[in-house]
This record gives sequence, structure tokens and C-alpha cells, in this order.
Amino acid sequence: MSEETFMGVPRNTIDWSPIIDYDKCNYCMECVKFCPHQVYEIRETEEKKLIVKNPDNCVVFCRACGKTCGVDAITFPNKGETTKKIKETRKGMGADE
Amino acid sequence: MSKSFAVLPCNGLDKAAGCIAREIALNILENSESEMICPVLYRIADARYTKIAQEKPLLVIDGCQTRCASKLASEKGLKVNIKLMVNEEAKNRGIELGDSLRLREKELKLAQDLVTELLKVKETEKVSESEIVYPETHDYEVYQKDKFIFRVPKEGFLFNENDSWVYISGNKARIGVTDYVQQSLSDIMFFTPPVVGSEVEQFGELGTVESGKAVFEVVSPVSGKIIAVNEELSAAPELINSNPYEKGWIAEVELSDLESDRELLLDFTGYFTILKRKVDEFHV
Repeated sequence: MSEETFMGVPRNTIDWSPIIDYDKCNYCMECVKFCPHQVYEIRETEEKKLIVKNPDNCVVFCRACGKTCGVDAITFPNKGETTKKIKETRKGMGADE
Repeated sequence: MSKSFAVLPCNGLDKAAGCIAREIALNILENSESEMICPVLYRIADARYTKIAQEKPLLVIDGCQTRCASKLASEKGLKVNIKLMVNEEAKNRGIELGDSLRLREKELKLAQDLVTELLKVKETEKVSESEIVYPETHDYEVYQKDKFIFRVPKEGFLFNENDSWVYISGNKARIGVTDYVQQSLSDIMFFTPPVVGSEVEQFGELGTVESGKAVFEVVSPVSGKIIAVNEELSAAPELINSNPYEKGWIAEVELSDLESDRELLLDFTGYFTILKRKVDEFHV
């Protein structure tokens, strides 16, 4: 189940989820085992055995799966940029809470 | 006089960083009165190493983020005094570790440098002092699921959705994590403090808290300059488990833009609602 909003902003307007570097990934699947939000999905039969299936399930500003990656194959968007965009979206919505 | 440790390296053989971890351990043994804990034998023969682990401060050397040595220390209930992660140290020094499992000049030098640094007797480190008037205890609202208790202080705190709290006092603030973090991590075994004097953005990283389960990045609720860290946590990170709002606080900052930060902060009611939903949906 996904969080539907973050600080009052619809989750699907926030660009925050892991990016897998397939040149580095060794498919150890530690990130999949770790993430309780079903962000990843394993595809045994495909060339890319691991994909980011549900990016909007990813907890905004959480980078914990990246800290399980032995080959450093997971990166995230820039936090400052993301914060800025969230604030802009709130302004656009006229949110005042 | 050199320091001495009980050294627990990961000894990972299939990655360069693991091979360097081994090299560091050997190097330390040659240059100090330290003793080795072999991670392979330790798995099956506790008795051999229990005494060493109790007598000397424990130095855990992980090659990479898989943290095999840290996890082993956690499984065995050892208290970690110092931690080293080869991957991170290499990155901080701008060294690219290749795929080769044989150590070349570059890797040997990295190992050597790290050992020199570790064994150097540091001058007494400057202790940062708290500058905030902070109540010793608080009034909590409690949400319970099974045996897990989640407290949230009712007055005087603001929160972010990433389960950090901030207590504001003038232009300064104290920051910590909530019960949701410590309950999710379970036994906290290590705290990596942020650097005093450095700047942190709102939602930036304010050190990490680590258990056998995971490394949790403390997500700063406010922006500012770090003026103090909770020094007690390096010797007793379990204070975060006992009470993250009292003795288990993380750091203090001088606020740089509270008005703008406030927009993305929650009050008690807002956070308590989110906490309850998180606990119901995810806590197992």
C-alpha cells in the first residue's frame, strides 16, 4: 500500500525513488529483502532481474535500501531539489497547513 | 603508546573492499597489541573469541554496505566501539576500487593510511556542549501495537514525516528520532554523529543510527549549522532505544531558515495520525 501524500502533496507528483545502476548491480537482492514497501520487483526470467516496480511506494527522503547495497548501485534524486519542488507544489495547491 | 583493539574484519573474499578489510586487520595486528577475531571461525566457535571481545575495544571493519562484520557483531551481542567501512573511506578519498581481488599499490596504500589514522593517539577531542534549555522529561501520548509501544511527546515538539523530531529554543534547536525509528530498528548498536560545524539542509542527513537490521539515516527536520552532538551516544547508542526524546537525542543546530522549514513540519496531532497509520500498515 502506498503513502498517498507527503506533507499534503500528492505522492505521484514527487519524483523520489531509487535508481538502479545496472552496470554495477550484481542482483544480490539485499535491497529487495530490505524494503518493506514493495518498491522493487524481481524478474527471474528477464535480463534486468530487478526493477523499480512501484516508485511511488518509496518513502520520500528514505535512502535506506541504498545503504544495504554492497556495490553501491543505488542512487536517489537530490534532496534539496526535491524539497524545493515539494514546496512549489504546495504553493500551487494553496496549501496552508 | 599505540592503541589496541579486538579487530573483527568482514574478510569478504569476493570483493576488493573485503580483501582490503583483511589487509587492514593484518596491518593493525602487526603494528599494535591488537587481537583478531576471525569472522569465519567466530560463526561456529564463540568461545574462542568471547574473551578477546570483552577485554579490548571492538573495531569492526566492513568492506562494503552489506555490513557482514557489523551484522555478525550484532548477532553475537557485541558492543562496537569503532567502525570502519572500506568502501566509504575509499569514496571519501576519491579512490576508485577496481574489481581485482589482488591488492595493488593503491589498495595497499589505502589500507596503510587507514591504519595509521586508527592507531594514532588522538588528542583529547573537543566535546561539544549543549546550549539548549531542555526539559528532562515529557508528557507522552502512547500508541501500542502488540508489545511495541510508540510514545510521542504532546507539547513543544515538531516532527517530519521521516520520524525525526525537533525542539526549538530561540534560534537553536535539538533534534532526535521518534519511537517509530527505534522500534523499527530494534537494538541500536552504533551511532555515527554528524560533523559539528557543518551545515545541514532540511531533510538532509544528520548522522546515522544502526542496528543489526539496518542503517537509518536521520532525516533533519530543519536546516542549520550543527553546533552539538549527543556525545553520550557513541558509548551508549542504546540510549536511543530507552528514550529517543530524552537521553537519546541526536544533535543540536543553529537554525538558518525556520520560517521556510516550518512549512514542512508537523505538530503533535499531525504526526501522531501519521505514526498510527504507519504502525498499522507496516509495523511487524
